[in-house]
Amino acid sequence: MEPTPTLAHKTIHRRGFLKFGGIALGAAAFAPALSACGGSASGGSSGKTELTFASAKFYGKSNIGQIVEQFNNSQSKIHVTYRELPPPSSSTEVHQQLVQTVGRGDGSVDVFTQDIIWISEFAGAGWTLPLDDYIDASERAQYFPGVIQACTWQGKLTALPWFVDAGMLYYRKDLLDNAGLKVPTTWDQLVSASRTLQSAGKTKFGFLWQGKQAEVLLCDLVEFVGSAGGGILGPDGKTVKIADPQAVQAVQFMYDTMNKHGITPKDVLSWDEEPSRRPFTAGQAAFMRNWAYAYAIAQDPKQSQVVDKVAVAPLPAFPGGKSSACLGGYQYGVSASSKNKSAAVEFVKWMSSPATQLKFATDVGLAPSRAAVFDDPALAKANPFMGKLKNVFTGGTPRPVTPKYPQVTLELQSSVSKALTSGDIQGSLQAAKSNIEQRLS
Amino acid sequence: MARPTSRLLPARAAAAVSAPPRAKTSAAGRGSTRRERYGGHLGAAALMAPTLLALLAVSLYPVLRSLWMSARDTTLAQQTDSFTGLKNYRELAGDAQFWNAWKQTLGFTAASTLLETLIGLVMALVLFETFRGRGWVRAAMLIPWAIPTVVTSRMFGWLFDGQNGLINYVLVKLHLVEHNVNFLGSTSLAMPTIVLADVWKTAPFMALLILAGLQTIPHSLSEAARIDGASAWQVFWHVRLPLLMPSLLVAAMLRALDAFRVFDLPYTLTGGGPADSTETLSTLAYKHLFSGLEIGYGSTIATAMFVTESLVAVGFAVFIFRRLKAVEG
Repeated sequence: MEPTPTLAHKTIHRRGFLKFGGIALGAAAFAPALSACGGSASGGSSGKTELTFASAKFYGKSNIGQIVEQFNNSQSKIHVTYRELPPPSSSTEVHQQLVQTVGRGDGSVDVFTQDIIWISEFAGAGWTLPLDDYIDASERAQYFPGVIQACTWQGKLTALPWFVDAGMLYYRKDLLDNAGLKVPTTWDQLVSASRTLQSAGKTKFGFLWQGKQAEVLLCDLVEFVGSAGGGILGPDGKTVKIADPQAVQAVQFMYDTMNKHGITPKDVLSWDEEPSRRPFTAGQAAFMRNWAYAYAIAQDPKQSQVVDKVAVAPLPAFPGGKSSACLGGYQYGVSASSKNKSAAVEFVKWMSSPATQLKFATDVGLAPSRAAVFDDPALAKANPFMGKLKNVFTGGTPRPVTPKYPQVTLELQSSVSKALTSGDIQGSLQAAKSNIEQRLS
Repeated sequence: MARPTSRLLPARAAAAVSAPPRAKTSAAGRGSTRRERYGGHLGAAALMAPTLLALLAVSLYPVLRSLWMSARDTTLAQQTDSFTGLKNYRELAGDAQFWNAWKQTLGFTAASTLLETLIGLVMALVLFETFRGRGWVRAAMLIPWAIPTVVTSRMFGWLFDGQNGLINYVLVKLHLVEHNVNFLGSTSLAMPTIVLADVWKTAPFMALLILAGLQTIPHSLSEAARIDGASAWQVFWHVRLPLLMPSLLVAAMLRALDAFRVFDLPYTLTGGGPADSTETLSTLAYKHLFSGLEIGYGSTIATAMFVTESLVAVGFAVFIFRRLKAVEG
């Protein structure tokens, strides 16, 4: 502060003086705050192993921070600091932040959670620690096989399952019961049930799904193609199977629901989850493909006209194929650059344990990735709907497993959208195949 | 359009508008000695330096940086980062998705700029007249522009929904269409719907820019024209419009450069679909840069955008310059 008055006296006018004074005052005010920060940061050492856990934000009755706190209190050797990332609805931002922190490889993040579709990308880049030495085969068998498949990259388990979500068939129980129809297990049955109900004037639409040129289109694609016994990429992650007869048959069916069978409005080409959910809960459709979240809305009298009239089942399949459900959800990863790997593994094992999964299921509404947890009476009590999802998740199918997944999905979104608008299924899928082959080579 | 003006405009009035500032500058120029001027330049340069530095840091550096990145194969996820020269550009030249987005972005820019300028002009002319509550109307007009575009997009998503949207409801009730129109889910209608949403949102802003231009035109000119027996249309066409032209063109240029970067409307309404029919350069670059983390190739698209946008800007600048000359001459 001292030189300011003399300076002002000589050359600076009143306004200048005020400005200088302001800066000086500001600096003076900041100084104690800065030193306070430094003080608290250096103060926390008490002999515990420090870990940093970064995860997208999920919350319900409890949040992730509180569950991490339970771990901290459950033992005396490890202390975990939770770093909150944006919610999963901003998954592009979550992805970016993970790439920037985990990808730096400086050990600043020990444990993190990743969307199921990033696992091979992170593993391919060498950012995640293979967990085979810590998690044996008998332990792996306790999880849904599709989730383990999604967590495996080049034969190595590089992620530990946290929670799952999957596509499922929502149907109107009341309409099917009144018409004496069974819950469809094949797509043909779904078409004929839809047409029966539509021509009887019981429902406006037969079947709603999501065709917006976005990630959700790929999820629907994986399910249709999987239920025909086909796939998008082969198990090696390099063979492109999207132009194989099974895939063509499946995409042709997606096109036909709109153009031949008339059970789906063409509007699905611009619909993602919510736009397709609204007509269903407004009572306009007999069937819908959607994720688990739609059930709670369908049962909420404020948002739904079909309370107590809705049930879920595994999605239908083509003759000879079996029902497949596109897997979603976030899974744990241990950073390859972590300086405390064994402590980090201990923490993820606790996070992925049956007890913690049950806690996440009852308090946060995240479905367990362990089949056994579904049979726990506590889950049936807290969330009866979730208890019924076990058979849906058993058929869970991962999306293509390749480190170039982001490029593959963009290419497929574009070409499948073209196939569905133009009707040139074979041509569009053939073009997708050659473009993807080029990108993967 | 300008020729008739000079005929119709009283020569003295035109001179009176342009003469005083010109006289002032020349007087200042003549009055200073060479030394004073030199010292003045140096002082001015010193004073400008911080601004220039800031400008270089925020506008030139990112451009050069993305130019540099556009010649590399940097991909965050694959950990590749090496110089590849023109490889990305060769790939870009053969990238059908890029050229499709390029055409659509230019189409969107042309359509939305033209419509917004015309509608904005009409709105400005109405708001220029005195009527009760004009202040309120002027303020209220800015509301659509002030709403965040993401919110606008959601709103338009509901309004234009193909099954339960209000627009379809009204059209069917008025018997203008027989069946619901699939606004966002058809390849031929999705882009026009996005243009419509953009016009709704930005025309009022254009109106305000043009209104500001209108207010700089001296009242005496239109008064003089009216006394000479000009009709309202003639006053507009021969007096106001030619004088308004510079501000109109500048406003259109600003709008065009902004429209060229359109992102939020297609991103939230259609995600670029169906079948890439609403993909723009910004959404495409975003997908490569942030979903795919292909920093190298994404930068190549961004650079191509920058070059195209510069060409649009230069085109407008040349046109404006010519018009100004024509008006003066």
